[in-house]
Amino acid sequence: MGRIKSLDVNPCKMCMPLGAVTAFCGVKNCMTILHGSQGCATYIRRHMATHYNEPVDVASSSLTEEGTVFGGRENLIRGLENLISLYGPEVIGVATTCLAETIGEDVPAIVKEFCSARPDIGAKIISVSSPGYGGTQSEGFFRAICAIVSQAEMDPTPNGCVSVIAPMLSPADYRLLKEMLDGMGIRYILLPDLSDNLDSGYSRKYERLKGGGTPLEEISKMAGAVHTIELSLFAGDECSPARRLFEMYGVPYTRMAMPVGVRGTDEFVKKLVSLGGVRSPRLVEERGRYIDAMVDSHKHCAKGRAAIFGDPDFVYAIARLCCECGVVPVLAATGAACPQLKEKLDEEIRSCAERLFAGETLVLDDCDFDAIEAEAKRLGVNVMIGSSDGRRISSRLGIGLVRCAFPIHDRVGGQRIRTIGYEGSLNVLDMVANSLLAAEEEGYRQLSRAKYLEKSAPAPNGEEGKGPAAIACAGERTRTHPCFSDSAEKYARIHLPVAPDCNVQCNYCVRKYDCLNESRPGVASRVLSPEEALERYEKAKATIPNLAVVGIAGPGDALASFGNTRRTLELIREFDPDVTFCLATNGLMLPVYAQELLDLGVTHFTITINAVDPEIGAKIYSHVDYMGRRHTGVAGASVLLANQLAGLSYVAGRGAVCKINTVVLRGINDRHVGDIAAVSKRLGAYISNMMPHVPVQGSAFERLQPVSGAEIEAARKRCAEIMRQMRHCRQCRADAAGTLGNDMSSILACGGEANGAHHGHDAMLPGAVFTFSGADEAALRASV
Amino acid sequence: MAGNVSILRERIKSIADGASLRAGGAKIACGEKSVSGAVSQRACVYSGARVVLNPITDAYHVVHGPIGCASYTWDIRGSLSSGSETYRTSFSTDLRETDVIFGGEKKLAEAIDELVEKESARLIFVYATCIVGVIGDDIEAVCRRAEEKHGIRVIPVKAPGFSGTKSQGYRLACDAIMQLISPYRGIPKAEGVNIIGDFNLAGEIWLIRNYLERIGVGVVATATGDSSYKTLIKMPSARLNVVQCAGSSTYLASRMESEMGIPYVKVSFFGVGDTSSSLMRIARSLGDDSAVKRAAEFTAEESAKTKAAIEKYRHRLEGKKAAIYVGGGFKAISLIRQFSELGVETVVVGTQTGRREEYEEIGRLVGKGAVVLDDSNPSELEEFIVRKKADILVGGVKERPLAYKLGVAFCDHNHERRHALAGYEGAVNFAREVCMSLCSPVWDYCREEKGE
Repeated sequence: MGRIKSLDVNPCKMCMPLGAVTAFCGVKNCMTILHGSQGCATYIRRHMATHYNEPVDVASSSLTEEGTVFGGRENLIRGLENLISLYGPEVIGVATTCLAETIGEDVPAIVKEFCSARPDIGAKIISVSSPGYGGTQSEGFFRAICAIVSQAEMDPTPNGCVSVIAPMLSPADYRLLKEMLDGMGIRYILLPDLSDNLDSGYSRKYERLKGGGTPLEEISKMAGAVHTIELSLFAGDECSPARRLFEMYGVPYTRMAMPVGVRGTDEFVKKLVSLGGVRSPRLVEERGRYIDAMVDSHKHCAKGRAAIFGDPDFVYAIARLCCECGVVPVLAATGAACPQLKEKLDEEIRSCAERLFAGETLVLDDCDFDAIEAEAKRLGVNVMIGSSDGRRISSRLGIGLVRCAFPIHDRVGGQRIRTIGYEGSLNVLDMVANSLLAAEEEGYRQLSRAKYLEKSAPAPNGEEGKGPAAIACAGERTRTHPCFSDSAEKYARIHLPVAPDCNVQCNYCVRKYDCLNESRPGVASRVLSPEEALERYEKAKATIPNLAVVGIAGPGDALASFGNTRRTLELIREFDPDVTFCLATNGLMLPVYAQELLDLGVTHFTITINAVDPEIGAKIYSHVDYMGRRHTGVAGASVLLANQLAGLSYVAGRGAVCKINTVVLRGINDRHVGDIAAVSKRLGAYISNMMPHVPVQGSAFERLQPVSGAEIEAARKRCAEIMRQMRHCRQCRADAAGTLGNDMSSILACGGEANGAHHGHDAMLPGAVFTFSGADEAALRASV
Repeated sequence: MAGNVSILRERIKSIADGASLRAGGAKIACGEKSVSGAVSQRACVYSGARVVLNPITDAYHVVHGPIGCASYTWDIRGSLSSGSETYRTSFSTDLRETDVIFGGEKKLAEAIDELVEKESARLIFVYATCIVGVIGDDIEAVCRRAEEKHGIRVIPVKAPGFSGTKSQGYRLACDAIMQLISPYRGIPKAEGVNIIGDFNLAGEIWLIRNYLERIGVGVVATATGDSSYKTLIKMPSARLNVVQCAGSSTYLASRMESEMGIPYVKVSFFGVGDTSSSLMRIARSLGDDSAVKRAAEFTAEESAKTKAAIEKYRHRLEGKKAAIYVGGGFKAISLIRQFSELGVETVVVGTQTGRREEYEEIGRLVGKGAVVLDDSNPSELEEFIVRKKADILVGGVKERPLAYKLGVAFCDHNHERRHALAGYEGAVNFAREVCMSLCSPVWDYCREEKGE
């Protein structure tokens, strides 16, 4: 499991009623009612409608308090009558929910009573027990099919047909399946059949029930079929429809994996041939084309380290496909409790990993996305395959996501994704290979530059194929500096606010505000003396074991109050000889103190350079105080720039790692960032961190419209060719402490009672200062 | 009973027309439980509570129940945060069969302990879902003990889905907020207002805040969009509550009025007219003459700009007919006005949880022949959209595919949208979205298919 053992953190599963509803959607003229409270039906409708882009009408018995206490019989009966009036179905699925099961509703008895009281309804009612707490959507799906074959009127007269029970696949996959069966000349009954009802065409007149799906007459013939093929290995004996048909009517059966990949499809075809099917020329062609495609992309695939997640049948089938293509499924994970997945997959995956030198692999069941994320990161996954629920991990870890399972909520076309047969497999293969190619195409220039030009790539560790995310930075200290290395997020840093003064007035800054709610550079709750700073560091060291970096970042400029800065660094060095020193400055005084700082052991510098053109700089700085004189306009900006560049060149030339912070200002320097990157790179800067301007009330730029996260990203992309870009920044305060994701400064500052109420009211920042931080735009500004 | 029926007998009382509503006595049943089997578009009590509380960014929202309740509500709404992203993570006790038999209290208590130890959680909401209400877990006691043990806030939200309608969930959420902020009722007064009932979809709360700043009105806190523990507890210091989503948050405002003496105004920032009149009302309510003056200038200027910007859309839309199906009555009222600003007549209007007085207002705004629906369903929407010849439907995710199948344009006015629909910018976005859908060439082919 992930971080929190007693909680599911970001679910990788849905509930049984959703599966039951889906199965009933594959029966002709069937309407479903959920016996429970109104929300279950509505949520499931929403979840399905967003994926299929199709109206999904599901009734609810809308249980209320009264129904819950005295039984929901009347609600259910009224619900049945009403849905019959509105939809006129031939089949009605009644699926229970957590609530109905917990209050002990006897649904079969209620249904029986209803049917005998109302012989005129003309609909077959099928009830299924599907409590949400009893399993996942896949179990609900098969339970519903079991209920259908058990409760429908069956005709055991032999009819020569083959029954095919398919799992939760897309409507397009159902269509592929039917094409395959037709093409092989098989007479078959497919249950369910989602091909039309969840992907219907536009038509002259809207029908509430769409007319597709398996008709009851066909279902009845399943009792007289020659064989049942169940395309699931994980349905479990008690909810296997094939087994049920065997027990009730003696129909022999085969349970096999979904026909995905070469072997999966071959097995299915072979089975059909043994039941009288013909291996059609088209099938032979498709197989050939698929194998040809596997060959074409095998070298791209060989770099693939996949995380596959979803229901067990999907994970099993896709993992086997990956193994055939040479994409190593280093992580195969299902949210369902299904230990059999590991039994069936482990050996196959291990042997694939061994063949391609992929190192450790893992098969997880009963897991959540939190666990999947942690493992994906650890195992060096570079492509994810599953539903759109993986998108948060995909964007956080910067790896591609191949969307090919339910639900897909952030793209269109979920109902048309093909995964089965040679044709569907080819589609999956292309998507996976293209995802890997896209990452390589975007990253290889940077990678080569880092490896050979900057000589900063890690030594090979014997395991191949860890993605570009694993490029390390220069020097061991950088590896553990959360602000200079995006892989150092587990390390913590502390900013000690010992430098109150500033010698440059930037037009975007007002330093008088002080508020714990504000998280941005230049802000701190209280300025500390060097002695107090040491005390805070000692305390922090005791509470934050992974503390690796001490930074001086203001709240003014670290070099404008150099006495304090120097004393602080000396005191801390005495106490802790190992800690990394980091210093942020506007660079004005850097040439003056550069050597002394290096002697004090400062290895990391952040210099804020907003312009390398004094004309532009003049728009950004209202004045620069240097050597007892106030400089303004272009003159001020020139003094600042000259010192920034001289300082950068000096410290970088002596091995210090330098980060260039740039506050991107709309219409002022937003087109200038490339020049800044080019100049600073030439002088030895290591990484660039562009931050959108955050309008601060009272500053000269308070009305300046900030650049968007997307614009920043675009600027970073443009400059990425010139210099490494920092994208994981959290815009720390001048007294931040902890990891980038977890600021503990308030706890350190007020002895644990950090509720903010101890602040005087005048210290609160009036009005709005906020950053536009969407999911990944949270990585906005620099920890100076 | 061949399924030709579109309107169930039990539903007739929940359907009215403009004429009868206008005649007075407002003959429409509302606020009632949903009719079984009618396929109501409503969700449940838990959902109502979750919608309102979820935008609290640094809170841990723990769903005590089986996985479905958490799975279908995980990060599905477009509330934005300027700080913590914790609210976007789903936490569920994922109750299983054995928990249902033996109770889930222990599991819940352990979960809270873990959140405090590993995540340094300081504010936790615990939602009790349907079965928790039945198996008898005493979540109040678990939360109380956790608060004592850890010295943090752990607030129970007893929201079993069956215990009422979504509106009941709104009330529970408001009560939870009161529980959080009540200890701070004595804090010194600040200049400024709270914006409540706005969930910061696509950054709308930021946009409104900017407007308020322009007219010189400070914002003390927002609820619950882009809020946090620290910002929420400042709420008692505000001078006025500005209530945007009346359906969900009027109850919070009225509790704050009676218990903390903070008056409130109901506002709506949907449409040019409503945005301007809301800003004026806020300025006047504060009794600040200079704010009123600035508001008058600002709204006049922005209205003129916005009207100019939407003119080209209005030109295309004039004479079209709209159907509206949304959650609350106040939003429906704004949308009717907003459509009329665009020259579009509303011919069908319905809500999931509208109130009597809101339906009366709707009756005054729509034409005599317009159909008004409470807690409607797909069959009725289909029937009336077709019968009233609506050109566009405004609604949520579940209504969208129905509109498309009927060959009708659609505007997404839900919690998942990614662009602002509030304020002046939102009014332009709205006009653009409506126009882009209505004017799409795809409808030509649909009409051809229909033989029109």
